[in-house]
Amino acid sequence: MREKAQLSDRFRDFDANLTTRPWIVLGMGLRKFNRLLTLKTWNGLGIWLMIAVVYLLTFIRFILFIEPEDYPCVDLNDEYQRCVPLDFYGDLLGNAGGTKLFLIAIAATASGGIIGNDMANKSIHLYLSRPISRLDYLIARFIPVFILLLLVTALPNYMILSSMWSGNGLETSWLLDRKWLIVNIMLQGILYSGTYSIIGLTFSTLIKKEGIASSTFFLFVYGTSLVCETFFTILNAFDIDEADYILLLSINHVVDMLSYLIFDTKYYVIAFFTPREVDIGSVELIAVFTVIFAGCAGFMYWIIQQMEANK
Amino acid sequence: MIKATNVVKQYGNLKALDNFSIEIPAGKVGILGPNGAGKSTFVKIALGLLTPTSGEITVLGETLTKNTTEIRRKIGYMPEHDCIPNEMTGVEFLIEMGMVSGMSLAGATERTHEILGHLRMGEEKYRLIGEYSGGMRQKIKLAQGLIHAPEVVFLDEPTSGLDPNARREMLETINGLTDVSTTKVLLSTHILQDVETVCDSVIIVKDGKLQMQEDVKAIVGEKSNFVQVRIGGESENFISELKKKKITVEDDGRVLIIPYVDHSTYDDIIDASVKSECSLYEMERTSQSMDSVYQEIIE
Repeated sequence: MREKAQLSDRFRDFDANLTTRPWIVLGMGLRKFNRLLTLKTWNGLGIWLMIAVVYLLTFIRFILFIEPEDYPCVDLNDEYQRCVPLDFYGDLLGNAGGTKLFLIAIAATASGGIIGNDMANKSIHLYLSRPISRLDYLIARFIPVFILLLLVTALPNYMILSSMWSGNGLETSWLLDRKWLIVNIMLQGILYSGTYSIIGLTFSTLIKKEGIASSTFFLFVYGTSLVCETFFTILNAFDIDEADYILLLSINHVVDMLSYLIFDTKYYVIAFFTPREVDIGSVELIAVFTVIFAGCAGFMYWIIQQMEANK
Repeated sequence: MIKATNVVKQYGNLKALDNFSIEIPAGKVGILGPNGAGKSTFVKIALGLLTPTSGEITVLGETLTKNTTEIRRKIGYMPEHDCIPNEMTGVEFLIEMGMVSGMSLAGATERTHEILGHLRMGEEKYRLIGEYSGGMRQKIKLAQGLIHAPEVVFLDEPTSGLDPNARREMLETINGLTDVSTTKVLLSTHILQDVETVCDSVIIVKDGKLQMQEDVKAIVGEKSNFVQVRIGGESENFISELKKKKITVEDDGRVLIIPYVDHSTYDDIIDASVKSECSLYEMERTSQSMDSVYQEIIE
C-alpha cells in the first residue's frame, strides 16, 4: 500500500521537463534516420547494400582510376569539360560514375513509407497532436532521408577529394586553392539529396502503400527523364531551337543542369550519339526548381491538412 | 479550463459547430451528444488541429490562434480511431511519443514504465502492438496521451469498440490514472454511462449547439426524488385528487411520475387512489438516470 502511494505521488508530481520545438524535430529526424538503417528489416538491408555499391563504385571508378592532375576537371575538347564531381552523379554509361541509379533507388526505398506509413496507420494524428506544427512534422520526416542521401552524395565526393589531395602530397596550399570545390561539393550534395528527398516524401504522402510509393517514385524520376530525352532527340533532329526546354520537365535533368551551373560547366545531353549543349538560363532553371520544391512541400502540407479535417 | 466564444465550424454547407459558446471548468468534464453532434470537431479545435471558421477559443488561459503548438505541451490527446503503429512494441511507441512531446530519452523511458505499471501491463509491453487485443490498444492510446504529464487530457470516445468488460476496465483505468495525477479530463462520448462513471460535470451537444451544461451529481440528484406510479381506471380523477393536495403529477403516457417529499408521499398516493377509485398496480421510488435527461434533451 505504502509502495503504491509512493508510486502515485511520483506519478502525480512528475515533471516532464519538455524541450523546445527545434530539438523535438531534430530528435524525430535522427531517430527515424536510425530506424532507416536498421538491419532488422529488408528495407534497411537493401539500403545498406546500395550504400555499399555506391562506395564500391566511388572507389573503383574514381579513387583508383582518376589521376590527381585530372581532378576536378579536365578539358575534353575546345567546348566540353569533364568534371569528376559531375560525373559522379552520372548514370552507368560512358565515363559516368553510376551513382545516380543507386541514389534514386536509395531515395525511393528510404522515403517510400516515411509519411505514407504514418498516414496508413493514422499515427500521424498523434504526431500532429504534439507540440509541433505540420511543417515541423514534414521537416522531421525530411531530415532522415536527406541525411541518408548526403551519405551517398557529398560524403563519397569528399572521399574522392581527400584521395586527390593525398595524391598531391597532402599540401595545405592545394586544398586552400580549392576552397570553392569544397563548397561546391556540399552545395551539389544538398541539391541532389534535398530534391530526391522531397520528391520521395511527396510520393509517400500521395501513395500510402510503401512499396507502390517507392516504385512509382523510381519510375517517375527515370521515366520522365527517358521520355524527355527521347523528345529532346526528336526535336533536335528537326532543328527546333526550343528543344532544350523539354528537359525542364524532367527532374533528373533539372538537378543535373543546376549541378553543372554550380560548377560553371556547359551541360550537354547525348542526341544521335553526339553531345548537344543545353542552353537554359540560370534564372529559368532556378525558377523551375523553386516551383518543384515549393510545389512538393505545399502539396504535402495540403494533403496532411485535408486529412486532419476529414479524418 | 476551456472557453469558447461564438465558435462556428463550417464544412461546406454543414455547420459542425453553430455559434458554440461555453466555459468548461477544470475537473473531469464529459461532452455528450449523438454521433455527428460536433463533439470531435470541438475537441479538435480545442487541440488546435482544426481552425474554427469564426469565433475564439482559449485553452488553459491561452488563445489558441496565437499559440497553437505551444499549448499542446499542456494537452494530451487520445483520438477515437485506431492510430497506433503495429510494428513497434508498446514500450518503444510510448517512449517515441514521449520524446515527440519533448521529453528526454531517460524521462520518457521512466514515465513509460511507470504508466504501463499503472495500466497493469506486464510483459505484454515488450510485445509488438500488432499482437495486442482491442482493450490493450486502447490502454496504449490512453497512455500516450498521458505520457508527458499534461495539464489536461482530451479523450475522444475512449471506450469505442470495446466489449463490456474491456469498457468497464477502461473506465476504471481512466479514473485510476486521473485520480493519481493532477491531469484534468475532457471526455467526448456518446455513451452516457462513460460520463456517469468518469465525469464530475457534463455538457450535452446536439447539431453543433450547446444544449445543457450541468454537474453530473446535480442531474442525477435533482431527478432522483420521485415515485413512479401505475394505476388502473381513470387517471384524470387520480391526478385531480393529488392536485388538491398541491402535488404535481407528470404523465408520460405509461406511468405517472410524482415528486417524492417524504414517506407521507406514499400515503397521499394511496389516499388519492382510494378517493378516485383507481386500482394501484405499482408504486415505486426510482431514480431517474442521466439517460432520461439525455433523451429528453436529444429528442
